[in-house]
Amino acid sequence: MLNSFMAIAKWLQNTWWALYISGSTWAYPFVQLTHFTGLSLWVGTNLSLDLRLLGIGSKRQTASQLSAALFAWNWIGLCIAVLGGFMLFSSAATKYVPNPAFEIKLGILVPVAVLWHVLVQWHARKWEKGHRVSAFGKTIGLVEILLWFSVIIAAVSIPNYDAH
Amino acid sequence: MLLFCEWLQKNPWIVAIDSSVVISLILEILHYSGFFLLVGSTAIVDLRVMGVAARYRTPTEVAHQLFPWMWTGLGMVLFSGFFMFAGDAVDFYLADCFHTKIKIVLLAIVFGVLVSWIVPRLDRVPVVPLWFKIVAFLVALLSLGLWIGSIYASLEVPAQCGVG
Repeated sequence: MLNSFMAIAKWLQNTWWALYISGSTWAYPFVQLTHFTGLSLWVGTNLSLDLRLLGIGSKRQTASQLSAALFAWNWIGLCIAVLGGFMLFSSAATKYVPNPAFEIKLGILVPVAVLWHVLVQWHARKWEKGHRVSAFGKTIGLVEILLWFSVIIAAVSIPNYDAH
Repeated sequence: MLLFCEWLQKNPWIVAIDSSVVISLILEILHYSGFFLLVGSTAIVDLRVMGVAARYRTPTEVAHQLFPWMWTGLGMVLFSGFFMFAGDAVDFYLADCFHTKIKIVLLAIVFGVLVSWIVPRLDRVPVVPLWFKIVAFLVALLSLGLWIGSIYASLEVPAQCGVG
């Protein structure tokens, strides 16, 4: 399994865009900037919605109203983060694939957290009672915050497992 | 200032915090989470003022929901950032790119305050003068640009100056 991933990683690392990113002085920081800008939009809006579910902060809008207001830029943020992340990954794919922190981040935590967020967006209305949120809805919001914290922990741990 | 940085770096509390792996990890997670919350919520308010996000909600409604998280995020970033700075205070103080980062962040905060001043004035009168709409658009655009610039500057501090 790891061998097939490594073969794909080697191919990816030798594509024209990956070679351009790793060989250019400006492209790598630009791609990093793209990834972090997207993450700021995605994680920032997710946390705002989760905190609203928990009933912390302004209650002027219900969780479903806030979810609808943030929806478009929330997903635009994820698309930007994924695009930047893919470019970053391409430029050093063979280094990332065997990294256990990266494996946990991208193989488990990110897919679970994204699916969990879809659940939050689809069902936020069901957990509302006027401007209040049921205990179940609050728990779902808290779990999403913990999931994104786990993603950040895995991400900051990647350099600690770096073989180079 | 250099003397203060030397004293800060040698302070027993700072040495203890800096040498603890767990506390360093917690500070890093707090810094990233705070930054995502800060930039994500600010970006949505800026985009709303520019008329490209949550258009069926008034700028005041969006700001009321998100500005508390912007200031909470800023608090988290400043708190964790201080301890992250203190551990290598002398190196940070001597690094030119760190000075640039701080200047960009301070300017972004000033523009964030300006946007928070502008937002209620956009909803106060039934017909907002065109010149005020243009000024609001430009201030929001600059605020957004400065926060993206601060992400870039933050990424460049370790890359260019080798600190952090």
